[in-house]
Amino acid sequence: MKSTAVSPKKFTLFSGFRPTPRLVRGVDLAGQWAAPIMIVIVMIAAAIYAPAFFNPTNLKTVGIQIAVLGVVTVGQTLVLLNRSIDMSVSAVLALGAVIVVQTEAGNSIGVSLVQALAIAALIGLANGFLVAKRHVPPFVATFGMLVFVGGARLAYTKGQASGTVPALLRSISIESVGPIPAALIVWLIVNIIVIFVLRYTRFGRWIYAVGGNPGAARYAGINVDWVLISAHIACSVLAILGGLLLSGYIGYVDLRLGSDYNMNSIAAAIVGGTTFTGGRGNMFGTAAGVALLIMLLNLVVVLGLSIHWQYAMQGIVLVLATALQGFRQFLLSR
Amino acid sequence: MAMTYDDTATNEATLSTKGWMVFARNNATILLIYFLIFVLIITGSFFSDRFLTASNLLNIMRQSIVLGLLAIGQTAVLLTGGMDISQEQVSRLVGLTIATFFATSESNPALILPLLLLGIAMGTILGLFNGWLITRTHAVPFIITFGVSFLLRGVNLAISTTPIRGIPDVYLKIYDAKIGIVPVNVIVMALVWLLAWYFTTRTPLGRSIYAVGGSERIAKLSAIRVNRSIVWSYVLSSAFAALAGLFLLARTGVGDPSAAEGMTFQSIVAAAVGGISLYGGRGSIFGTLGGVLLLTLLANFFNLMQVNIFYQQLLLGVVVLVAVASYKSKQLGAL
Repeated sequence: MKSTAVSPKKFTLFSGFRPTPRLVRGVDLAGQWAAPIMIVIVMIAAAIYAPAFFNPTNLKTVGIQIAVLGVVTVGQTLVLLNRSIDMSVSAVLALGAVIVVQTEAGNSIGVSLVQALAIAALIGLANGFLVAKRHVPPFVATFGMLVFVGGARLAYTKGQASGTVPALLRSISIESVGPIPAALIVWLIVNIIVIFVLRYTRFGRWIYAVGGNPGAARYAGINVDWVLISAHIACSVLAILGGLLLSGYIGYVDLRLGSDYNMNSIAAAIVGGTTFTGGRGNMFGTAAGVALLIMLLNLVVVLGLSIHWQYAMQGIVLVLATALQGFRQFLLSR
Repeated sequence: MAMTYDDTATNEATLSTKGWMVFARNNATILLIYFLIFVLIITGSFFSDRFLTASNLLNIMRQSIVLGLLAIGQTAVLLTGGMDISQEQVSRLVGLTIATFFATSESNPALILPLLLLGIAMGTILGLFNGWLITRTHAVPFIITFGVSFLLRGVNLAISTTPIRGIPDVYLKIYDAKIGIVPVNVIVMALVWLLAWYFTTRTPLGRSIYAVGGSERIAKLSAIRVNRSIVWSYVLSSAFAALAGLFLLARTGVGDPSAAEGMTFQSIVAAAVGGISLYGGRGSIFGTLGGVLLLTLLANFFNLMQVNIFYQQLLLGVVVLVAVASYKSKQLGAL
């Protein structure tokens, strides 16, 4: 057998490479500010090439879409901050919409809302349990949950979701308060609560601590598993909230409702500066990431391109953002 | 001190050193999965006369080929500690491209060989792209391949949203050709599984893939070219996905824009059920084979039992969750 002994210096592209503090700082800042800067650039480009983007009707649509994706992404960010990931948001989101629409016939809206939130909390608990207690890789655990919840929804609706969206939800998603869509206000309230919790409560600091270094957090006396499980519960509940907003906006429920939201919420969070390695990222970045992604997707429509390019757009945004984050992490680890 | 020696003595007594006991302990997952397959076959034969017939079993083997091809590739990637989400889109892209070429050349049978090679080349290049992105950016593999899969989905939908006709009849022989009652592709697939076993256990690259998955740092210190092994594993994964796409094209006879829907996840599940560690470095290709056969048998079983399609997905979800919940983590395994 021939020897494969090679000088260790040739292993990687950057071996023997020690980044200067200035480079690390630059890449770090680029990761955090990429989304806001891109928003400005995209806005300028839109003003030149697609003035129809600034049409008030279109802006309202964009606002509502930002609100729906924003609420879901806040949850996704909480999970990502804990070094986990939630692939089941799209199924949970659709399940919530189905529950509220179907039970609307018999129950009062309050009862069905409580049902939906309780089921979401249970799904989040199961996700968190699998990840924290059973040490299943988060992607696999939550993807299994995606298949399971999707199957449960199919079995429950027998493949045909029917019913009308309650008037209350419809009005929350469609109406405007002054010039601002009501859905955006829901999103703002969620953001304010979460930012407050992350900044000014012990729990918020625990989330960053657990994401930054689980081992150190455990030695500091934090109940690491419990923090992770709570983040998963919060994520599922927020996903249900997003589903209610979405079904109110669309006005009906179908089986393919919200299937892109896994991809979009992860991409938006990553573009906004949250890392997969946990402990870094904040809600302002996430908000910017959501706005950027929705604007790009909307521009595909406004420019009159084929709707399929939305998928390619999502893919490119996610790959670029992940590559940037990965490179940042690599530099920090040198 | 005497007590300590006694303790070790009893420990060694309980952990038998007999050959078959050691074998059973080391291969518990694989033995369990083949036991489950056995149980499923027995149960199936009670419920339906048609289950335990040669034609049905051969049919099951033929149905397992697509999942098998994907799972072999996925196993190579999982063993390095990565994950390839783009498989299903790669096989779809290859199938659609080949179908488009056939359609524009009026189903010319002379093109079959070049187009097969083109398909595999496409898979290889996409795998190189994946591997290059992952090793150069040091990013999380499954997110990179997830992004690539969305990119490819956009491309696929741009190629066609309706089935593409015009596959030459000769091409369909890939799926139909038989020797006696045994389909040729089943025999070829058996050889592919043997090759995969040989590759993972007997070749330098296969062993270095295991080493990289076990510990990237130690592999690097042992003069294994870590990045090259990782790139190769993604190349293998995409090339096998391309083969699956070519096979699916022969099976359906049209370039299907929704081909291989949900197969990526099934390939991961098949490998994970078969004992391939999702943290990398552990597991055997025969475990993957068991996982593939189990999933295919389950689907066939559900069909024979006439389980409603909506409940089938629910049951698949239950199987996945149970498999995942009983998952043996790296920390637990190290104890």
